[in-house]
Amino acid sequence: MRPFLSLALLVATAPQAAPRVPAPAFALAQVQQVPAPGAETSVPPPSAPPQSLPEAPVEASSRPEPRVPAEAAEASAPPAGVRSSAAPAQGTGEVPAGEPPPVDDPSLAPAAEPAPTVETDSAPAATGVAGQEAPPVPDDAPVLASDDLAADAPRTTDARQQRLVNGAPLYNPNVSVHIVQKKRFADEGRHELTVYPATVQVNGKYTNHAGTAAHYTYHLQENFALQVMGQYNWYSNESAFNLELIDKVREQAQAASSLLLVWGAHAGVEVTPLYGKFAFLNNSLAQFSVVLSGGAGVGSTRHLIRPEVTNEVEGESFRVPARFGDTGTKFMGSVGGGFRLQFGESYALRVEVRDLIYTARVDRVDGCNLADFEALEAARSANQDFASLNLSGSCRYEKFDGVDPKTRKNYREDIILGRDLVAEPSSDVLNNVSFYAGFSVLF
Amino acid sequence: MIARTLCVFASLAVSLAAPVAAAQDDENVLDNVVVRNRLYAPGGKLEVSIGVGLPLQTHLTAHYVFNAGVAYNLFNTFAVEARAGYAASRHTGLARSISESFLNREDKRVTDELEDLWQMNLHGVAGVRWAPIYGKLSLLSDLPAHFQAYVWGGGGLGSFKRNSVIQCTQVVNRDLGICDNRTSVDDRGSATQDFWVNESRVAPVVSAAVGFRFFIRDTHGVRLELRDWVFRDNYRVNLMRDAWEAGQATGEPARSPGLTHLVQFDLGYTFSF
Repeated sequence: MRPFLSLALLVATAPQAAPRVPAPAFALAQVQQVPAPGAETSVPPPSAPPQSLPEAPVEASSRPEPRVPAEAAEASAPPAGVRSSAAPAQGTGEVPAGEPPPVDDPSLAPAAEPAPTVETDSAPAATGVAGQEAPPVPDDAPVLASDDLAADAPRTTDARQQRLVNGAPLYNPNVSVHIVQKKRFADEGRHELTVYPATVQVNGKYTNHAGTAAHYTYHLQENFALQVMGQYNWYSNESAFNLELIDKVREQAQAASSLLLVWGAHAGVEVTPLYGKFAFLNNSLAQFSVVLSGGAGVGSTRHLIRPEVTNEVEGESFRVPARFGDTGTKFMGSVGGGFRLQFGESYALRVEVRDLIYTARVDRVDGCNLADFEALEAARSANQDFASLNLSGSCRYEKFDGVDPKTRKNYREDIILGRDLVAEPSSDVLNNVSFYAGFSVLF
Repeated sequence: MIARTLCVFASLAVSLAAPVAAAQDDENVLDNVVVRNRLYAPGGKLEVSIGVGLPLQTHLTAHYVFNAGVAYNLFNTFAVEARAGYAASRHTGLARSISESFLNREDKRVTDELEDLWQMNLHGVAGVRWAPIYGKLSLLSDLPAHFQAYVWGGGGLGSFKRNSVIQCTQVVNRDLGICDNRTSVDDRGSATQDFWVNESRVAPVVSAAVGFRFFIRDTHGVRLELRDWVFRDNYRVNLMRDAWEAGQATGEPARSPGLTHLVQFDLGYTFSF
């Protein structure tokens, strides 16, 4: 069995290693030309009549350099079928590596120039024909994908149509870029600090949560990261739906089902299996990643003992705020997914949905179990001092003793409510699904 | 045993090292070309769609919405759309549990109807779809998926029904919480008629959505969206148990009943002509 496993593992390893070797299949994938049909609305207003291409200065550049539009090429006397020479050595993908070798015209391509100067091959010849100094051409000068498209070229040879938007010819319907784009920003080895000013629970049936979270991520690899996250819910209470059930039909969720999360901390991993890009209104470009995360940690929980009430004492009304009881720290798991939208090298926006899963068993409130509450209730009826009772060590009976000087609320009245919560110990697995929106700084 | 384990670990190390090294090589070829031209242009095309919506969360009712729609893309980013369909709806187990236990709750003789109990059935809406975002995802490295992200807003009419879980006009068995004509006390399905107060109405409905449409070639598409159906709630308050159990109308309409939201995850298919 184990040899089979080892063999299977090696077989699985091979395809991953393959891209490092210039395998034909990979090359084919890169060269596949997809003549884009073009979008009417993505092309700027009708262009001026075709004009000869201004000559481009020969200049080394890491950016994709313009190639010669068809008219210009024809004006420079290369016959049909003559195409630019090989692709830039790295990355741009404008010219696929696997296409048939170009027919180089000596008059167009200086012999001394190696492949990377494709885009400017025709510049010297054009200058010679014109006999004049060529006007300077900006970096985002016209680009033509392929001479095969020469017949269709007139509609895209206008410089305005082919100007680069954020580094790419957004309006050029003839541009054929290789299918797999390089990521614009590398994440590997970088740290990312994220703040989520607002996290809001979206599946609040019996509970509502809102809070703030912070998130640290170390990107071990381009698509894999370690993360640590902390969250504090500055609002956690039972939902209006639960209170409606109590008010109208004398029903409520089990204690375990309405457990509230006060804070949580967890660590885990994050993967970015997908990345993409989009254009907003055909103009602004952005890169995004789909992020998936998972982790485990702990969270502190509480439960509502008594909602906000009005206390009537000697004809005077006092508003008594809601009271919560500590139900302990629980194990917590986390799974989530969302988008990370990157702006420049150092900033990103994150929009995610995370499910905090925690086990909930309510058998103690403020450390007191059912026996403790029974003893407290008996002592309350007899008007005894709680300190003399034989309670469990964790029971914080002080929380159920005394009178609030501001609201004149007698805390002993809450003992019966606490006992109700643990009278029938309940357990549940809660899913606290929240929406997270935040921003990141990468360094 | 140890040797085999070492072999497995060695294989794992190789498999992990390969993409890492490849990624390092790729670092040098990161470039600025981040966009290609829009490959799919729906502008000027008519499209039809079907979809099914599942509830994201259920309280007292659950809805499963089946829709068909027709849309015309005025531009690549803007379309008008009409949708019509039927929502199969039911009471949740929680609602049934409340109805059964409340029959025997003698300590609550005056109460209000519960909120958000209307169930939507037939419905039709018309609206506009604005898709300002066009992008693509890299799936499995070599497979690009082109998509549009959109927001949708519109309104229309819907037919609604409401079955009370509080007002039973003919209590059959108070202890067991039976308010229907079932032939066996344990078999709710044997009932052919129930005696809960029910209402129906036709009311305006507003719908809003955000979603993605993934293009599959020129004519097909898959739609994923989050859709909210919103309509005005309507229920009665200050109900007297004696009155409703005598079959009499009781209570008065709530002054501020609020809005009911049905939030659905919608999965659909579109075909463009």
